[in-house]
Amino acid sequence: MLVDMVIDGFDVSEEESEPVDHVGDLLLRVADGDRAAFAELYDTLSSRVFGLILRILVDRSQSEEVLQEVFLELWQSASRFAPNRGQGRTWVLTIAHRRAVDRVRASQASSDRDVRAGFRDLGVAFDSVAEEVALRDDATRVTKALAVLPEVQREAVVLAYYGGYSQSEIAALTGSPLGTVKTRMRDGLTRLRMEMGVTS
Amino acid sequence: MNEQDFAELSAGHALHALSPDDERRYSAALAAHPEWQRIADRDAATAAALADGVAAEAPPSSLRDALLAQISAPPSEPESMVQPPARTSDPVRRASRGRRRSWFALAASIVLVVAIGVSGLIVAQQLGRSPAQTTLAQIQEQSDAKSATADVAGGGTATAHWSDSLGKAVLVTDGLPAIATDRVFELWFVRDGGPEPAGVFTAASGDATAALTGAMHAGDTIAVTVEQAGGSPSGKPTTDPIVAIPTA
Repeated sequence: MLVDMVIDGFDVSEEESEPVDHVGDLLLRVADGDRAAFAELYDTLSSRVFGLILRILVDRSQSEEVLQEVFLELWQSASRFAPNRGQGRTWVLTIAHRRAVDRVRASQASSDRDVRAGFRDLGVAFDSVAEEVALRDDATRVTKALAVLPEVQREAVVLAYYGGYSQSEIAALTGSPLGTVKTRMRDGLTRLRMEMGVTS
Repeated sequence: MNEQDFAELSAGHALHALSPDDERRYSAALAAHPEWQRIADRDAATAAALADGVAAEAPPSSLRDALLAQISAPPSEPESMVQPPARTSDPVRRASRGRRRSWFALAASIVLVVAIGVSGLIVAQQLGRSPAQTTLAQIQEQSDAKSATADVAGGGTATAHWSDSLGKAVLVTDGLPAIATDRVFELWFVRDGGPEPAGVFTAASGDATAALTGAMHAGDTIAVTVEQAGGSPSGKPTTDPIVAIPTA
């Protein structure tokens, strides 16, 4: 029996080891100006993308603006997607993350992102991620992988990915040398890849 | 830089946490070592998987409506959004239909704004005029704006618009030859040090407006090659240019 599930446009077949890159196929069609494919792409990923942007930006109206920017960029730049270099879903989420981080840095360039705010975020960052994901099966892979990381590595990855903090900000927040933060981030990401079984 | 140094930059890049200086080192290293791309791709996939750690949240349906309305609007005609430049450095053949089309472009943009109302204004500003068209308009506002048209091997024409003072260039194509769906057109600034990649584009029905990424240097030649999707992985052209337009 062949059972297919579609998770965020990622077709997972129980019998086939090679997943179909549904989002990647849509992106190739969008690159040709296919509007129906664009609508399908939006329906497939907008909730996931919006959730991510909202997590980083917190502010809802700014998050809506960034969501628009992201999908405009997808419409206009889909031809830059290279299927031989990774999944379509990765490409979309990378753009979304970059846009959200750019926005948070631009809008909070001043005193908002001072060390105190950072420490507050540090306290809630992992806890809130762990809390949110505890209830959802599709996220347990992430929680489990993060939980396995040594605390300093988890801190570096969580502050960067979910908080939008740069390496130098993280160094200031945690009182660690910049070089140490860079190494922790590298080691943390490698460990996560193994724990989550990510293949690019 | 060795592979281990690059791997450290790659992790920071995947998490969008590098300083601007490190970001430049990362790009330079990747350009010099295309074989390290797999490290970058793997890190991007790992970072993207972290998105599953956040609850999905449905955006307001008005956003979907605004986006779809925008991309369904008739595309405005790029070469007619602005008047042709007063003078050019090269003999130029201008598209004769430019002026006639401008009225359609104007009418279309008015309809667009009315249709989507205030809430969609951000979208209107960005989608009604693509970034390339915005850049084109910006170039045309410069006193040193120039343009030149050349025939494209295989059919069609390409018009380069540039401003040396702005350091930007836009290519507008008309009737480009069809290419395979897994190929793209790649733009290049050709200068003394060799060709610099300046972005890729596709051209539905042969017409496109594409802004060259990166800074243009005075005297650059603007060229287009046909490359694999995503652009030449080595950062150097793998085919002969189908068109090359000198700007000096």
